[in-house]
Amino acid sequence: MEDLAEAAIRHALKLGAEFADLRIESANGTNIVVMDGKTKTLLAQQESGCGLRAFIGGAWGFSATNTLTASSLRLAASSAVKMAKVARSKAKIQFSISRMRAVRATEEYRCKEKPSDVSVDEKLSYALSLDKSMSSTDARIASTSSRYDDLEAERVVANSFGTLVRTKERWVLAACSAWSKSEGITQRGHASTGSVGGYELMRGDEAADLGTRAAAQALRLLDAKPVPAGKFTVIIDNDMTGVLAHEAFGHACEADGVLAGSSVVEGRIGQKVAGDEISLIDDPTIGDTFGHFSFDWEGVKANKHVLIEKGILKAYLHNIETSSRMNLPPGGSARSQGHNNVPIIRMSNTYVAPGDMKKDELFEELKRGLLMQGIQYGYVESAKGQFMFKCDEAYEITNGETGQIYRDASISGVILEVLNNVEGLANDFLFGDPGFCGKGGQSARVADGGPHMRVANMVVGGLA
Amino acid sequence: MTDIGHLARRTVDHVMRLGPDHCDVLVVDTKHITAEIEKGSMKQASVVADPGAAVRAFSKGCSGFAFCTSHEMKAIKRITSLAVSQAKAGTHDPDFRGLPEKRRPAKVGSLFDRALSELEPHEAVEMAISLATLAGDDKRISSVNAGIGVASGKFALANSNGFCEVEEMTSIDVTAEAVARSRSGMFSGVDYGSSRRIESDMIERVGRNAREHAIMGLKQTRIETGDYPVVIDPLALGYILSVAIGEGANAEGVQRKRSYLAGKLGQSLGVPELTILDDPTIEWASGSYAFDGEGVPSRKKAIIDRGKLATYLYDTYTGGKDSVQSTGNSSRGGPQWSFRLPPSISSSNLVVGEGDASIEEMIAETKRGVYLRTTYDFPNLTTGEFSGLMMESMKIDRGELGPCLRQATIGVSIPDMLSRVDMIGRGSRFAFGVKTPALRISEAKIAGPS
Repeated sequence: MEDLAEAAIRHALKLGAEFADLRIESANGTNIVVMDGKTKTLLAQQESGCGLRAFIGGAWGFSATNTLTASSLRLAASSAVKMAKVARSKAKIQFSISRMRAVRATEEYRCKEKPSDVSVDEKLSYALSLDKSMSSTDARIASTSSRYDDLEAERVVANSFGTLVRTKERWVLAACSAWSKSEGITQRGHASTGSVGGYELMRGDEAADLGTRAAAQALRLLDAKPVPAGKFTVIIDNDMTGVLAHEAFGHACEADGVLAGSSVVEGRIGQKVAGDEISLIDDPTIGDTFGHFSFDWEGVKANKHVLIEKGILKAYLHNIETSSRMNLPPGGSARSQGHNNVPIIRMSNTYVAPGDMKKDELFEELKRGLLMQGIQYGYVESAKGQFMFKCDEAYEITNGETGQIYRDASISGVILEVLNNVEGLANDFLFGDPGFCGKGGQSARVADGGPHMRVANMVVGGLA
Repeated sequence: MTDIGHLARRTVDHVMRLGPDHCDVLVVDTKHITAEIEKGSMKQASVVADPGAAVRAFSKGCSGFAFCTSHEMKAIKRITSLAVSQAKAGTHDPDFRGLPEKRRPAKVGSLFDRALSELEPHEAVEMAISLATLAGDDKRISSVNAGIGVASGKFALANSNGFCEVEEMTSIDVTAEAVARSRSGMFSGVDYGSSRRIESDMIERVGRNAREHAIMGLKQTRIETGDYPVVIDPLALGYILSVAIGEGANAEGVQRKRSYLAGKLGQSLGVPELTILDDPTIEWASGSYAFDGEGVPSRKKAIIDRGKLATYLYDTYTGGKDSVQSTGNSSRGGPQWSFRLPPSISSSNLVVGEGDASIEEMIAETKRGVYLRTTYDFPNLTTGEFSGLMMESMKIDRGELGPCLRQATIGVSIPDMLSRVDMIGRGSRFAFGVKTPALRISEAKIAGPS
């Protein structure tokens, strides 16, 4: 594999590329979906191929092939260079890729039990047990769905600076959804767990309890009312703080968006963008998380990135192009969904660092507001500077006490305002459920987290 | 060049020799060309070939699915074994009534544009540059990001009932984001286009809309929380309806009682003037096809017929469960079929029937309200409730379109939204797979920071 990679890179250089890199990937995976006690999907994935990039004077060419032979890789190299020349002929912005130190490394993610060593019968049995744990919780659970996913991939990253990194990656994920029904009202609860690593994660208590958690949430929501719309002081839980870190600020700090002129934090390095107590970090080096990696998809060693330190914007997330253009060391935040996608800047494990308040203190000081828990989804438009995310369940807070439960509450805000409205951070740091982040048509595994956080002046969207 | 029809038939024979009850096989050969502009400068061009094959085998009603990124028989035999062994490992499902019988596909021309399939990379680059030039044609625009994606694919679908068809389909996607700046801030305007051929006005329309909406966004205001009439632009309406109706009417969600539309067949869902079709036969539309992802001929059907819920969207499994025919809505994943996912139910092209009001008339007849142009939120399909951020919206004051609203959200249940339609526009556009005019609804909850 390494010989194929280096020969293709040499071919691209010979044809005129100033810089070239590639990713050769082979992946096997499983996806099992059980619905209402029956198997819905049993999927096996067998994927392999190579994506090759060539760079010439400010423009990139990319080509991908699903055939891993010397001739097909040479052809891909030729196509990539041809595409780079086509793009280069019309490129207005000129730059070069800074030479970086070659990285030669081999890494295999920690794993006690390879998913491929576990039979499909056993994986299915686990998914069926999750499904049963939901349906047996309560007669009001009307429908159930559980899923199990794993992936084992081997990736070779090589570039024309001499980098050659081989990574054996493994991850597992399980998720449950339960639908409750009572007196004409239907509600959904969900729960998930996942991490890089092996099937041992599915043998732990957290994985076994997913169904119970999902069902309990679905049952709680039967008593929920539509949330009142308006402006509130809200306390957001660990999951929501994590998504706020990711959506409300993390995306705006991706340097590709900054260079594209579509981020509101462009030109604000060194400026105050948040309250003094706020530090926001993206750290792929944290092991046993869903966002973990040691080398990125450009072969750069992964680093912890402090994006905001005590309220001051310190850094953006970089790939080798953006770090070259901004005269910085390689960033290590490039990832691609598969061999046929171009690596782009992605977050990994993104979080707000904990504060020093006790969680109860956040509540005690609040006369009227909302507690918002769990995350359905969120998104941001960095150029408009606006974000939105929707929680699973919200609770009225009156004089520090939680009361009525609400459903479908969303909060929205303005990127450059929200972190200045933080009134307090608890000391109860947690990562939330694992998830996938979409960007540029690609999906990347991520984790988000933080402490409970109290934020003033949040616009809450709802129907009431 | 692989004869993919022959390969699909041969694979079906191989699968059936391993003993499942039924199977289908999809063989795909696609090529994608993209050209991307960043900050007004040509940034990246790509060409990606993506051949592959997928096998779905059924044993006692349970399906096993496996795919590979190759047309080599060795790789296909490996996924064949995997699919069959997985089908045998699953639970028995008596609701499965078999795969579709061999039938002639519907006559839907206009799925394949020779010119698009032969487009050279430098031509895609020229199109992207034209798009960016149009989007950036104003001194207030500080940055333009734009892209052209062109795909051409050949697909062979075969099943164990003797069905085997080969189809060629092309598609083009166009997207532009223009960023405008002023002393008070920045705002981006976006627009999209998609088709199965090069539409003469697509580049011009997308580029112009992105530019104009970026500039409009520089003037901003706020709104007090309250109930307002809302004029919904086709861009926002397409996004909402693609989920609310396209996914809400999915028979699987309905049968499992997970959809807000469960049990509502024949009941009122909107004003009597409202009709929403699912139509996979529209010429050159991205969601059109001659046969669906299981081989069922495509056909037009009304989901909402004059204000009443008329049908759900079925594949063969869910159709069998309700003892009705499949509506031909088994999807293999969009304009270019994918071998990476098993077929699932999806709308094709949703079409909202037109009325007679222009957008200008809708605005003129709104004393105090909101114009919603884009949102990227979708309704909760379990409850049918929709609350989300109005990513681009404008205040309507005394019948005139005012500045953009900053940080405002909208909340309304989908049944309420459809029953509060009081004006239906004339003139439609495609957005997110939905061909729709603008609509005005009499009331929705708008929350703002004031």
